[in-house]
Amino acid sequence: MAAVPTRDWSDEQLKSDDLPKKDIIKFIQDNAAHSFLNEHKLLGNIKNVAKTAKKEQLIIAYNQLFESKRFKGTEPVEEVTEQVKAVKIEEKPKEVKTEVVDEGPPKYTKSVLKKGDKTNFPKKGETVSCWYTGTLEDGTVFDTNIPTAARKKKQAKPLSFKVGLGRVIRGWDEALLTMSKGETARVEIESEWAYGKKGLPESKIPPNAKLIFEVELVAVD
Amino acid sequence: MALEQLSDVVQRCQARPDDSYTTEDHDVFTIAGRTCIEEGNSVQVLSIILDEKNQEIVRSMGWNLLPPLIQVLLKKDNKNLPQCLAIFNHLLETCRPKELLIGLLEQLEQDDPDTIAESVHLLLNPLQKVLLCLGSRKASSLGMTLSSVLDQVAKLPLPHTKDQEEDDVFSLCRCCTELIAFIRPFVQEVRLDLLNSEELNQCVILFCSCMKTLSHPLLEVQLKDPDTLAVSPLRNFATEILNTLSAIGESLTSLVYQPLLKRKQLPGFLEEEVRYPKESLASLAHLVFVHHLAADTFPSVYNPVFCLRCNMEHTCLLFLMSVCVFPITQELYEKSLVRVVDGSLPADLLEIKTFLTVSQNLVKVMTICPRHDLRIKGLKVFQLSIDKFDTEAKYNFFQYMLKTSGHSGVEGYIIKNIKNQIDLALQPGNSNTWFEGVHLLPLLRKVLSLPDGPETDLLQYLDRVMESLNLLRYLVIRDKVTENQTGIWTELYKIEDTFMKPLRVGLNMSRAHYERELHNTMESKKDKAKEESMLSVSVGDEKLPNMTSQSQIQALHSALHTFDMIESVLVRIEELTDVRENL
Repeated sequence: MAAVPTRDWSDEQLKSDDLPKKDIIKFIQDNAAHSFLNEHKLLGNIKNVAKTAKKEQLIIAYNQLFESKRFKGTEPVEEVTEQVKAVKIEEKPKEVKTEVVDEGPPKYTKSVLKKGDKTNFPKKGETVSCWYTGTLEDGTVFDTNIPTAARKKKQAKPLSFKVGLGRVIRGWDEALLTMSKGETARVEIESEWAYGKKGLPESKIPPNAKLIFEVELVAVD
Repeated sequence: MALEQLSDVVQRCQARPDDSYTTEDHDVFTIAGRTCIEEGNSVQVLSIILDEKNQEIVRSMGWNLLPPLIQVLLKKDNKNLPQCLAIFNHLLETCRPKELLIGLLEQLEQDDPDTIAESVHLLLNPLQKVLLCLGSRKASSLGMTLSSVLDQVAKLPLPHTKDQEEDDVFSLCRCCTELIAFIRPFVQEVRLDLLNSEELNQCVILFCSCMKTLSHPLLEVQLKDPDTLAVSPLRNFATEILNTLSAIGESLTSLVYQPLLKRKQLPGFLEEEVRYPKESLASLAHLVFVHHLAADTFPSVYNPVFCLRCNMEHTCLLFLMSVCVFPITQELYEKSLVRVVDGSLPADLLEIKTFLTVSQNLVKVMTICPRHDLRIKGLKVFQLSIDKFDTEAKYNFFQYMLKTSGHSGVEGYIIKNIKNQIDLALQPGNSNTWFEGVHLLPLLRKVLSLPDGPETDLLQYLDRVMESLNLLRYLVIRDKVTENQTGIWTELYKIEDTFMKPLRVGLNMSRAHYERELHNTMESKKDKAKEESMLSVSVGDEKLPNMTSQSQIQALHSALHTFDMIESVLVRIEELTDVRENL
């Protein structure tokens, strides 16, 4: 950074449409001091800066850079430390963004009753097979596929479906993706991720009902 | 005579082994035996048949006597009935199953409904008995039998009302009930954990028969719910068919959700399409979702939107069938929609072709179906489907409908929906970019236009024109010029050019034309000279009488009145916009 950068573009060239904003921004970002960039709002992704900055502003900045000579490496140490701090702050938001779910916290809870093999977790689109019993909060059993003495044993099969594709209520899709083969869990699903305000009258599920399932994940495709 | 011949041939054959009987022996026995029964000599025939010494003969040739025997039993000829019944039962015990089967199946073929029902009633038990004697190789015989029985039952008239089902005049209900009893042992024989290839074939036969019944009669009768008819043989029949499917290992959920599931590899010898006939699956979906049959075996974990998508496929198919099936189609679609929360279906669902096809078919029913009640039903479910879309989907759907419906009434109905959506969007807290913001204007431009400019036939397009005017009037009243939330005020000058002025011109032209027509008609009426009209209309072979002058005048007055109505709204809008613009 010892050599002072040269001014390659004349005023006419700067004003010309042939010279894209991005090029000017890049030059200034490469060569100007951090505080200069900050003052002129030229920090950050070139594309974004190009969207918000007008050509006239860039020409002004370019000229001012050479007038003030506030090139990179002309700043005292404290400013460099600030630069490092600033960089750190910028990185964090990116991580947080990928984890935040738009709709808030998950609307189900799961407690493991019997551990699974902790290796075979189903992925979206794979077929899972389950034995399950579904009850309402008051204990009424509204559905099960587990054979009892009353039912003919030969008819009983575990429920099979492709997980994570919205074919089942959301509570099931989400919970099963966290279960491993052989696991039995108690899953409590709030009505928004179950049958909501409509309920399922023919299956004895009233509106706004919280559903409790005991699910055993038997097989993963 | 015949009796003597019969006795002779029997005596000739008595001591000999059956492989020594000649063709002549067979023929004589057959002809003589049949004649005896037809002539009423059943007592003697019975004693011959029961004679210890004749059992080999009976085993070999007895089945040939079935035709006249069954005729007697069907006619319920009291004199000979007991003896013939005794002969019949003995033959069933003694003769070879394969031959008995042929004989019995032949007699199943009848033509008139009464005899069909009676022969099914008479022959199902014997057929069952015979088939069970065939042991493990019965699958194809079972298939043949079920096929014949179902074909015969298909010829019986269907009960439609509750009373008809109770009275069961043509015995369809009785046949269905007997059919269930017939297949029961064959279903129980199937041990799902030990399927060999013969049992597998038997499963396939049973499955195909269930599929057939789902198509007929179950798709064509309207099942009565328990409140209407507490004991319904048809409802029981349907329930038993579903239970049978489960018992032979077919998952009801896979069948119902078939359209969206990846096809599994099939064992067995039947093609995919034949094995899963689409109409039968649609019928099954209807039984499960609308009548809640087998509800306790149907899992309550499926997502209502997934159910809707599958049922759309079924609905789409059902539309291809005759309009008589429409009530079932409508019920299935409606039931699936009702389970979905209002405003929750996203726009990308509309990209699935089925959604649009179903809507187009509904429009056809709403506009051209001759039955008024079906048109009303169609409209009801059409509006219900609109209510389930989210805002963006509604927007896209309205655009699509305006572009493709080609019917003024439908367009008018859609425009009214658009007005409602704008009204909702303008309420505090409901703001959206589709019916208020940036997207509204392009939609409005499509709505506030005349299809043929000033030459638009205002009577033909009345519904659309009136709703467009109503919408415009609503907008200029509701949206203050100072707020201009919908953008209507900045757009107004364009609308005046493309809509209001051409409409004004069109109104003037139409009114002038009709007033002249009215004047001419009244003049010619005064003259009393019957003018030969240039057009005549014939329906069938009959020419319709010309409209009387009186009717013509009434029609013309009615047209003029319509123009007045249109004009009154247009004038009101002009007043409102003049006032606002001059503020």
